[in-house]
Amino acid sequence: MLSTLIWFPFLGAIAIALLPPRPLKLVALAISGFVLLWNVWIVTQFDSTTPLLQLQEYLPWLETLGLNYQLGVDGLSLPLLLLNSLLTWIAIYSSQEQTERPRLFYSLILLVSGAVAGALLAQNLLLFFLFYEVELVPFYLLISIWGGEKCNYAAMKFLLYTALSGALILLAFLGLVWLQGAGSFAYEAAMGDTLPLWIQLVLLGLVLVGFGIKIPLVPLHTWLPDTYVAASAPVAILLGGVLAKLGAYGIFRFGLGLFPMAWANLAPVLATWATVSVLYGATVAIAQKDIKRMVAYSSIGHMGYILLGGSALTALSLVGAIAQMVAHGLILAILFHLVGVIETKVGTRELDVLNGLMNPIRGLPLVSALLILGGMASAGIPGLVGFVSEFLVFQGSYAVFPLQTLLCVVGTGLTAVYFVILLNRTCFGKLDNAIAYFPKVEWRERVPALILAIIIFFLGIQPAWLVRWSESTSTLMVAAATPSLTQPALAQAAQIAKVQK
Amino acid sequence: MADIVDIAVNTDGFKTLVTAVQVANLVETLKSPGPFTVFAPNDAAFAQLPPGTIQTLVQNIPQLRRILTFHVVPGKWMKADLEQVSSLTSVEGSPITINLADGFEVKNATVLTADIEADNGVIHVLDRVILMG
Amino acid sequence: MTTTTLPPITLPPSTHEFADVVHRLEAGGSMLPDTPENLMQIIGIYKAYAVPMDFYWRDLLYIAERVFLNPLPAFKYFLPQEYLDLPNHYAGEHADLRIWRGEATAHPELLEFMKTGEMKQKLPRLFHHLWHDRINMEFAEACMRAMFWHRGMGGQFDPYLDSAEYKANADRAIRAYFQGNPVMLGLYQLFPEMFLEQVRQLSYYANLGLFWEVMAPVFFEMSDLYDEGKITTVPEAMNFLVNGIFAIAGRPIYHHVYIRGECYEIIPKSKGFMWLYEAALPYVEAVFYRTSPFRGTKSYNAQAKQVPDNQADFHYGILYADVFPVGSAGIPPTLLMQDMLHFLPPYLVDYYKQHCRGEDDMLIQLGISFQRSMYNVTSAVIQALRTALLYPLDDPNPRHLMANRQFFEGQLDRFKRPEARLRDIQRQNYR
Repeated sequence: MLSTLIWFPFLGAIAIALLPPRPLKLVALAISGFVLLWNVWIVTQFDSTTPLLQLQEYLPWLETLGLNYQLGVDGLSLPLLLLNSLLTWIAIYSSQEQTERPRLFYSLILLVSGAVAGALLAQNLLLFFLFYEVELVPFYLLISIWGGEKCNYAAMKFLLYTALSGALILLAFLGLVWLQGAGSFAYEAAMGDTLPLWIQLVLLGLVLVGFGIKIPLVPLHTWLPDTYVAASAPVAILLGGVLAKLGAYGIFRFGLGLFPMAWANLAPVLATWATVSVLYGATVAIAQKDIKRMVAYSSIGHMGYILLGGSALTALSLVGAIAQMVAHGLILAILFHLVGVIETKVGTRELDVLNGLMNPIRGLPLVSALLILGGMASAGIPGLVGFVSEFLVFQGSYAVFPLQTLLCVVGTGLTAVYFVILLNRTCFGKLDNAIAYFPKVEWRERVPALILAIIIFFLGIQPAWLVRWSESTSTLMVAAATPSLTQPALAQAAQIAKVQK
Repeated sequence: MADIVDIAVNTDGFKTLVTAVQVANLVETLKSPGPFTVFAPNDAAFAQLPPGTIQTLVQNIPQLRRILTFHVVPGKWMKADLEQVSSLTSVEGSPITINLADGFEVKNATVLTADIEADNGVIHVLDRVILMG
Repeated sequence: MTTTTLPPITLPPSTHEFADVVHRLEAGGSMLPDTPENLMQIIGIYKAYAVPMDFYWRDLLYIAERVFLNPLPAFKYFLPQEYLDLPNHYAGEHADLRIWRGEATAHPELLEFMKTGEMKQKLPRLFHHLWHDRINMEFAEACMRAMFWHRGMGGQFDPYLDSAEYKANADRAIRAYFQGNPVMLGLYQLFPEMFLEQVRQLSYYANLGLFWEVMAPVFFEMSDLYDEGKITTVPEAMNFLVNGIFAIAGRPIYHHVYIRGECYEIIPKSKGFMWLYEAALPYVEAVFYRTSPFRGTKSYNAQAKQVPDNQADFHYGILYADVFPVGSAGIPPTLLMQDMLHFLPPYLVDYYKQHCRGEDDMLIQLGISFQRSMYNVTSAVIQALRTALLYPLDDPNPRHLMANRQFFEGQLDRFKRPEARLRDIQRQNYR
């Protein structure tokens, strides 16, 4: 039943490309809506008390190559799967009615959705790599065909960077399997802890750089601002909400998961790296004059928290990191959507031109209000989902990396700085009479943001719904990476888990 | 000589003014020793006012009285005396500007006939009803 | 644009910033360009304004004359039938001067609205009131308060409020009103000035009520004439107002209070206070030019000199207002726009639906029409003052024409301020 999440969107993409139905957007919405419901159903089938893979599917494929069709879901991938199908639906919903070449557009989006689900579910390294590469070209096309200014340049940059990312990851996977002499690319067979530590470190380094491009981490981030800004709002939602999460997922699944010892060794470096990302993203965002670019840089900063949580290697921080993936996906999606609405209505993204959108009749009051909510969530205001995840990360990391954690807390403060700048210039002040004849915002354009806002708010006051899926899985992952002395009970749990396999 | 009211009554072209003064019960006042200077708009001057203006004033005696007393200044100011001043204070209380630089102008009205002397003052005939402000 | 038919003796062109407008005024035009679209907007708005105004003036007089010093005036907006039937002195068959050919009692559309409200349901009046489904008297009171707060804007009415005679009159009325009420009388002994100040405010209620009693029929008549095709240009509309201003200039302004069937003349008619000097001109100055910033739309920092030290320098009136913030709850312009929205003539509703956001921002669109129409009213006041105090537009004396020009330019100087909307209303796409 996990396969449905992959193949239904794929088949949908083909159907949309070939079949004649006219309201394409409606069909695409129905398909992605079905996938979302299917995902919710999977959540109800998911047992959050066990840390292990569940609902596994296995189909022998190319046994000789060690490539098998092997799927499974655990507490790390489940929230991201749900996020993926939700944001796909939102992205399709928020696309403009008059999209050019709609057939191709919706097909590609569904293709991306299926590929991302595949990558999240794959329990075979090669299978993961296949899905990971499959979303590359659709994204390239989505950026270059429907993008804004300089979109060809941005799309090419994106393609080059992510292709390099893929190459590095493939190199790491091949190295791991060959050096171990394992006959299969199956995930559980590929645990790297039998290799010498230095080889583990090299392979982990490849994985980190490979996925670090995707996340992205400073200084591998230079493709991001151009790409996010050039992409249309729905594509930016998918890029920031889904694709970046795939990078973070990869780092945890294949970095921490396959090389726990090496990861523990590298942890201080990773934490420092995360801190640099956080502070860099925030300070650069402050300097931006373009609200979309500002949001894009905020993304760099906020992905840093995920790495911090992962490097601290406590159960709490890892839960926080997974929660942050979801929170960031939701927040970035609402921000990109609203920035997109503002751009279409007002015709500019310039901070110096925007003003007074809070105006009750002639402005965009609801959009402004939701933008403020998004900004507050991003800045980690209590009661919203951003607070929950960031607090968990900080709470879990402080004991291990106090300095880095404190600096990241400063980064949260800087987030508040640039969002206050953004909100103050954009939403408040006096609406300029000379230009303020904006078209009205349709309900169609409000609905995605409203849905996201409700989720952001709900998870903010009911965080259990966000973290309970990943608690046991993250406990297990932490146990594998930390010496059994510190956490004997957890290590035992891990042992039991291995024996059961 | 006759007093101010008699002169007005006996001169052609002051029908409206005389009626207004009678309605406003100002006859007695203007017959008193005074002396007064009266800037008297002629009938043509009243006719220039938009329709309804007089009707409303006639219905409201205190207001009519106020407009009329604006045309009256205590003391006897001959044209020659007015060369020394630029402004007079009317009985109503508001100032009346006087301009002798180019002809004889009282506020925005022009004096058609100056220095009609009466027992209890002097009359200057205006081509326009003057208003406060 | 008006075809500028220059008088026989011409002056050199004006060098004023608003030279176009100066020339238009000199040719007998309005500050508002003469276009059919402008005419339709301002006439439609006059009509939509006159209906709630018919309520405003009645209720203002009711409060001034009957509610008076009621310490808990919870029902001051509940107009009794007596005041709905109160004959307007300038409408109906028995009018002092029949300006509007319609009825002297409350306007039928107003009565209809008071019955069913926006909800289109007949509910007890209290529910309509609490649901705020009613005429927003708060706007009328805001205008009154603007006049009362600024005070001293010419005329004899305002100085009279500080005279011993006025205080004696008020004292009699206060004692009569609180007869047999030792608490209030005791308070009066303790704080006489507070009570006097309240009575002064009530005198301004009466003042504004008597002012608007005239304006409502004027606007109704203009709307009727437009519908009959008898007003076809903006200058015609303005001249109707100019004539109206003169015709009723002499209407008395007074303040009578009725206590137990007895009339107390706080400001007797015999003071000779006139509509033009004691009500209209102070009203224009207070409401069109000065007022005070709308609450809730912008923060002003008085220490940073964002608010003028001198009250006379206040310029927040409708001629300067930024109509775009309208819609924020409770600010007086929003209340007025809301009131007018209920009585828009169909042609204006259609017109607004075709522009900007259609029904969604009708409040602002009609607010800007209102701004246009008030520029036309101000033009009428300027032309009326020119008629009263200066010279005819075709005066043969160049010195007189120059005096006219200086007067016009002096008036337009007040619109040189950056926030003045005179520039905007010259454009049709300001809406």
